[in-house]
Amino acid sequence: MGAWLDYTINGLIVGNIYALLAVGLALIFGVSHLINFAQGSIYTAGAFIGWTCAQRLGTPLPVTMAAVVLGCAALGVVIERVGLRPLAGSARIAPLLATIGISFVLDQGLQLLYSPDPRSLPSPLPAWRIQVGRGTIGALDILIAATGLVSAAVLFGFLRFSRLGWAVRATAQDSEAARQMGVNTDAVNRTVFAIAAGLGGLSGLLVGMYYNHIDTAMSFQATLKGVVAQVIGGMGNVPGAIAGSLLLGLTESYGVALFGSSYRNLFAFVLLLIVLVLRPNGLFAGRQAMSPEPLTGTFIAPSRPWDVPRWAVAVCVLLAALLPFLPNSAYALQVLTNAWLYALLAISLTLVAGTLGQVSLGHAGLLLIGAYASALLALDSGLPVWLSIPAAGFVTAALGTALTWPAFRLRSHYVSIATLGIGEIVGLVILNWESLTHGPMGVTGVPPLTAGTVELDSPQASYWVALAVLVLLGLMQSRLLGTHLGRTFRAIRDDDVAARACGVSLDRYKGLAFAVSGFAAGISGAISAHLYSYINNETFTSQVSVLALTMVILGGMGNVLGAVIGAVALTGLPEVFRFTAEYRQLIYGLVLLLMIRFRPQGILGTA
Amino acid sequence: MSEGGSRGDLLELSGIDTFYGPAQVHFAMNLEVRRGQIVCLLGGNASGKSTTMKVILGLVKPRAGTVRFDGQDITGLSTPAIIARGIGSVPEARRLFGAMTVRENLLMGAYTRRDRAEVNHDYDRMLGLFPRVAQRINNRAGTLSGGEQQMVAMARALMGRPRLICMDEPTMGLSPLYVDRVLELIAAINKEGVSVFMVEQNASLALQIAHHGYVLRTGVIALSGPAGELARDPRIRDAYLGGERTAA
Amino acid sequence: MTQPLLSVRGLQRRFGGITAVKGANLDLCEGELLSVIGPNGAGKTTLFNLISGHDRPDGGTVRFGGVEVTGSTPERLAALGLARTFQHGRVFANLTVRDNVLMGTHSRMKLARPGPPLLGALRELFLALIRPPGVRAEEQALRREVEDILHLFGDRLIPRLDRPAYSLSYANRRRLEIARALALRPRLLMLDEPTAGMNETETAEMRTIIGQLKARGQTILLIEHKLDLVMQLSDRVIAMDDGAEIAAGTPAAVRHDPAVVEAYLGHRHMGGEQTPDAVALEASP
Repeated sequence: MGAWLDYTINGLIVGNIYALLAVGLALIFGVSHLINFAQGSIYTAGAFIGWTCAQRLGTPLPVTMAAVVLGCAALGVVIERVGLRPLAGSARIAPLLATIGISFVLDQGLQLLYSPDPRSLPSPLPAWRIQVGRGTIGALDILIAATGLVSAAVLFGFLRFSRLGWAVRATAQDSEAARQMGVNTDAVNRTVFAIAAGLGGLSGLLVGMYYNHIDTAMSFQATLKGVVAQVIGGMGNVPGAIAGSLLLGLTESYGVALFGSSYRNLFAFVLLLIVLVLRPNGLFAGRQAMSPEPLTGTFIAPSRPWDVPRWAVAVCVLLAALLPFLPNSAYALQVLTNAWLYALLAISLTLVAGTLGQVSLGHAGLLLIGAYASALLALDSGLPVWLSIPAAGFVTAALGTALTWPAFRLRSHYVSIATLGIGEIVGLVILNWESLTHGPMGVTGVPPLTAGTVELDSPQASYWVALAVLVLLGLMQSRLLGTHLGRTFRAIRDDDVAARACGVSLDRYKGLAFAVSGFAAGISGAISAHLYSYINNETFTSQVSVLALTMVILGGMGNVLGAVIGAVALTGLPEVFRFTAEYRQLIYGLVLLLMIRFRPQGILGTA
Repeated sequence: MSEGGSRGDLLELSGIDTFYGPAQVHFAMNLEVRRGQIVCLLGGNASGKSTTMKVILGLVKPRAGTVRFDGQDITGLSTPAIIARGIGSVPEARRLFGAMTVRENLLMGAYTRRDRAEVNHDYDRMLGLFPRVAQRINNRAGTLSGGEQQMVAMARALMGRPRLICMDEPTMGLSPLYVDRVLELIAAINKEGVSVFMVEQNASLALQIAHHGYVLRTGVIALSGPAGELARDPRIRDAYLGGERTAA
Repeated sequence: MTQPLLSVRGLQRRFGGITAVKGANLDLCEGELLSVIGPNGAGKTTLFNLISGHDRPDGGTVRFGGVEVTGSTPERLAALGLARTFQHGRVFANLTVRDNVLMGTHSRMKLARPGPPLLGALRELFLALIRPPGVRAEEQALRREVEDILHLFGDRLIPRLDRPAYSLSYANRRRLEIARALALRPRLLMLDEPTAGMNETETAEMRTIIGQLKARGQTILLIEHKLDLVMQLSDRVIAMDDGAEIAAGTPAAVRHDPAVVEAYLGHRHMGGEQTPDAVALEASP
């Protein structure tokens, strides 16, 4: 039983860390109805500020902690001012996407400053452990618990007894009434971002010391955990966020105890989905309908798409098809093959995110399903590759639609969170379902592309296959968009209430759109698998989902040609300029931020 | 603040055009509130009454026209800046901070003030003026009845020591007993020197206590005059229920 | 008299502690125009939402076309022939005028939109891809019909057929919404404040259009604040206040009903129906 006590203690400690992240998210959501996806990056920044102070400057722990809180609070203020305030009045999803852009920029900024190598951040506390029953508690555990308690107490005091704290609460309850009392709601926003960032940074420092390990890639998981904890507790509910965090920490810890550490995140995301579907207002809210948000579900700027003449498109396709005949084009072919596969992903995403208005952040999951389906059908069932790829498309269409089904009843940013969770779940199921997927070993020796007896593994052949599939699926999608289906998808995006009043069954058309989208994404994943010859559960991560969304926004939401242009621009241009990987991520983040701010309709316009 | 020298108008709206999206709400509207008066703005549904209050408070920016308060142009100012100049607001449907206590709500009303001792003095004064509020002082505002909430909303607005208090449908949804009480309180507040601008649908009630009234109909002032005259004017009925001649 | 097209009995809806609709009853026969009036917050729009399936009642029944439809989804009611507009106007902003109206025909598409949920949906996708002649002909016929419907609004919308709805004026959006509802060929048309935000000229124009629809035999349930218009168009009027019916009958009767006058103007009579002395007496403390 001593182990159980240890697991409980561990769960509570981890829960405390999540709480420091989630409380900030809840405060921000309460005041500005925004999910701050940059929270994890601030957490990482906190860890590195702490590392700099402790390891380079040799500051004592209290000074380190103070420096982290102040440094991150300043960062939070800058994020609010530069990234978010200019977006006041845009669709609600716009600032959410902006925080994703900010997180890319911050993460890559840190990576350029500190290099991607992990670092150790030893705890300066004495190494003693107290025996409690059959478990033990160390000094650091006590520090983390104390930090959690003290932060909660200070926050409680601030909200309850200070003038500014009252303004924060009043703004969260009714910002227009608060303004009528003379509250400067911009100042309130700034304060809340500073608090959230300070606590988030502190959380990063403590985690770094707890595991004696920090690196610049830990942001995303931290954001996810904070968001999950907050959804469990109810968006914007500060005590709920603390309770949700502890519950999440315990669930994970017990899950790890029962099934092993690779299940940790699976538990977190399954819990997320269950809560989102059954109690979208969180476990602690009364069971009530979600507040309706008419016309805010989508990030669609009113614009008319550019009408690109058909002959121009045909000429471009022809030129692209002739490219392999140019001498010395091997490198360009490789880059463009990759671009065509990304373009397939982008047209898939633009259908649901742009045309249907369901901003999915889980498309990496569809790629994984397609890749594994085709690889396993070819390897384990002996299906020829030219059959396994379309089969993978159908499998992805069916499975992807079924998995996304629970999110059909959600709206706006809840869709994004749910699909993000679904995407993560796909990766984690692949990791853990060893009998089918070979687990963490991945699938090796995926056969190359063939058509009947013709080997297609030369760079030229791969290029043509990818291009041909892209052209085919792109034409199909354009054709669909010209029928009543395209009209119906767009109507659902613009106003689902009015669409239902016209007799549109939302489930049916969302299902159709996700099926078509899943087919294209599955094919893209499948072809990639055969080109890479090795895949594992991390071949496509949520970062790929975000990158695809950036391409879609760049090209113009819902615009098929725009998606292709976005994909070529974001995969091709960095190659042309020979940017290293870190700078590429930085560029993606900046592109996302700038597009949202200055050209939300994208290059070719929303369609 | 000295009142000497300035004209009698505390608040003056002139040539106001506002839009809600593409729909025009006000058409070159003019309106004045004299110092020390109670002025009511009457009108049926969707006549633009509530938007008028939002224009005064800076929540809606007019596309044309100016709002002057105490002789100064406040048209472009932010809401907190307008509140800080001495305008108090009792919003439509009260809009209390439901999860905060009554006490916290009252003190939020004094948010722009720094004179702590005076705020405490006013706080005690409010408890005297609104005994019902005093009884519920530590309850969450959301748990109060509609009438009690209206009292809290009025006390909250007064805590800012406004020279002008703006009220949006203060009697809406209240039981007759509370309606009378609210009207008495508005008159009492006015006697203490606070000017009142009040938006009301219920014309007969509002005109009982007002000095001057305006009737708004689809964004245009259709009628105005001293309250006593307005109450007897048969045209006020047409402004709400439609003219007799058109009801063929 | 034949069975009413729409029949509402004892409909109730509570939000938290507030009862927004307290036992509403109404009957509407084919070809009739019934108006619901009442001050802000009387529960008119909630009643509309309950009838059209956008909100679920806590009690009571709704029958439409002889079928019990209480708590049905809006899409089922649309398929049964119920069309509505919304209080603040809900058009598909990024769709063209033509596509907006075509959306109204959605529930009438037979060939392009086969029946059962799963297989039907897959067939629908397949048909959209190959576009057989029948499906194309159906779409063409609907497109022609769109122009017929828009001609009802004179030259307000026809010249703007291919413009996106967001570029329209407010009044044109309201017209477009009505056109979309008509494209459903509704047995019952529910209009929620069709003239809100319109000036006098536009309101008069809308009055003519609604009058034409009525003359064609269209059954209409109308919420409207401009009482001139209500009085001229309605066969019957129901006045609501505070979630309940306070008067019902012919326009003239409802207009003079003391309860209605009180609901709008206050609980003491106004506008020359009372002696000046009495007003003065009440005004003194």
